[in-house]
Amino acid sequence: MTVKSTREAAIRALIEMAEQDERIVIVSPDSLLASRAVPFLERFPHRFIEVGIAEQNAVLVAAGLATTGMKPVVISYAGFLTMRACEQIRTFVAYPGLDVKFIGLNGGMLGGEREGVTHQFYEDVGILRSMPGVSVITPADAGQAYKAAKAMLLRTGPCYLRLGSGREPEVFPDDTPFEFGKIRIVKHYGDNVAIFASGFIMNRAVTALDQLKQEGINGLLADVSTVKPIDEKSVVEILQRTNCAVAVEDHNIYGGMSSAICEVSALYHPCRIIRLGLNDIYPRSGHADDLLDAYGLSVQSIVDGAKKAMNSQTAV
Amino acid sequence: MTTNELKKMADRLRLDVVETIHYVKDGHPGPCMSIAEIITVLYFSEMNIRPEEPRWPLRDRIILSKGHACPIQYAAMARRGYFDMDELKKLRTLEGILQGHPDMNKTPGIDSVSGSLGNGVGIGLGIALGCRMQGIDNYVYVIVGDGEQQEGVVWEAAMAAAKHKAGNLIVLADCNNNQSGGKVTELSSLYPAYEKWNSFQWHVQIIDGHDVEAIKNAIANARAVKDRPSYIECRTVKGKNIPYMENNNAWHKRVPTAEEVEIARKSLGGAI
Repeated sequence: MTVKSTREAAIRALIEMAEQDERIVIVSPDSLLASRAVPFLERFPHRFIEVGIAEQNAVLVAAGLATTGMKPVVISYAGFLTMRACEQIRTFVAYPGLDVKFIGLNGGMLGGEREGVTHQFYEDVGILRSMPGVSVITPADAGQAYKAAKAMLLRTGPCYLRLGSGREPEVFPDDTPFEFGKIRIVKHYGDNVAIFASGFIMNRAVTALDQLKQEGINGLLADVSTVKPIDEKSVVEILQRTNCAVAVEDHNIYGGMSSAICEVSALYHPCRIIRLGLNDIYPRSGHADDLLDAYGLSVQSIVDGAKKAMNSQTAV
Repeated sequence: MTTNELKKMADRLRLDVVETIHYVKDGHPGPCMSIAEIITVLYFSEMNIRPEEPRWPLRDRIILSKGHACPIQYAAMARRGYFDMDELKKLRTLEGILQGHPDMNKTPGIDSVSGSLGNGVGIGLGIALGCRMQGIDNYVYVIVGDGEQQEGVVWEAAMAAAKHKAGNLIVLADCNNNQSGGKVTELSSLYPAYEKWNSFQWHVQIIDGHDVEAIKNAIANARAVKDRPSYIECRTVKGKNIPYMENNNAWHKRVPTAEEVEIARKSLGGAI
């Protein structure tokens, strides 16, 4: 499978948007190289603000810039942004509703892979989802990251875009649409079971859906590319059809996309939903695919999860 | 305003604070008193602002990083005409526009959320850079406490501001050597602060923070420095000009009784 960089894709989108909107600036806590932003710096040298390895100050500087009418984008590793600068995002951007965008790199185990736990981040979505007023987008591949970055910059208000290591499997054809706040049905073989998936494990979810079909289980795959606000209407419509689901994401099982799906289900259409993600533990360094397999995100885990969801007799 | 009028206004604002906190039964009086002259000089002499047009894009900006001292900022803003004096009586209530700590959306004239300590310098730097990028010729004033400089993010911002040559950023430090839990010099000493800011390549001055002429002169000096941000260390007294509050940290957060309001009124020269 081809891999493509979500980081390069997002920067390409930023450059194109910055050509049209002179308010767009990047605030960098030494993320120039990690974010692949050199082309942006070369094109807009005065719109790239370097503050050094200082994420909290980066967010504050962005907040200050936004109060003057600028449209800053802070790029850093997902955890350094959402954990180290958590309070600055919450109090100085989200609370006043300032137009600051955040791009988090190394989202998930897959994002940090061989770097180990210090550079793998599976809490970011949950942290930001709990903050009033912050939107959260989790694209599945480079093509979607490009479109999502553009959509984010066309909107007003705090928004977080989760990117990976720069080696994400290409899943969707180039002409695949992205609509902020909408769940998209990727494949629909039948209504036996639904797979909700988000982020860079989408390729595994596609394979799992096909494997289930070979075993006579016809399900559907839903791409949850916007985790907040969650597309409640689509979640309910899908669950009404299938009455069971498996939700898959490269995030801790608490607080992320699967939690959002369960919250909607509990309110509007209670049914069995199996959540697959990091099972509330810290993983370790490893090759990306090996890591995902070892920590419950293999294709077989998704297949098994779907079958478990369909079996109403499963005990605790 | 003349120097004498500024001095009187500072005491008038002090009395506003005592009366307000007594009335609403909540707030931090001591930390307000040490910045009375700084706030007065900024609002009534030095800042280029339009209270009738609070979001005038070319205005000078002010961030009260030690946001718990906002009652005195609110009093100054009310007296400058941003809102009615009656709003002070609704401080910290659901009916009012004045939050327990400054809120840029609920209160006209507030330029940033503040009050979570240590964050004002970074916000001020962002505003300073944003204004400069848009060709706005103005100044950003940030009032910080001395205790809050124990927060590491202050120094992240200090480092970056010097790198960006933010000459339009002026930090006024309320150095009263008191913080919530005791003396700054005992808890984790900032001092000597002068040397720290100097080594971060800021333009540094030390003044008597209760001398309005000294504050005006220091601001003029700071404005004249175009290639460096400025730090003005204002030596102050927590609870200044109210005898039972002066250097008494019990007044960091405390509500004055009716009798204590009267004592304050007398010591501040009556209703002025």
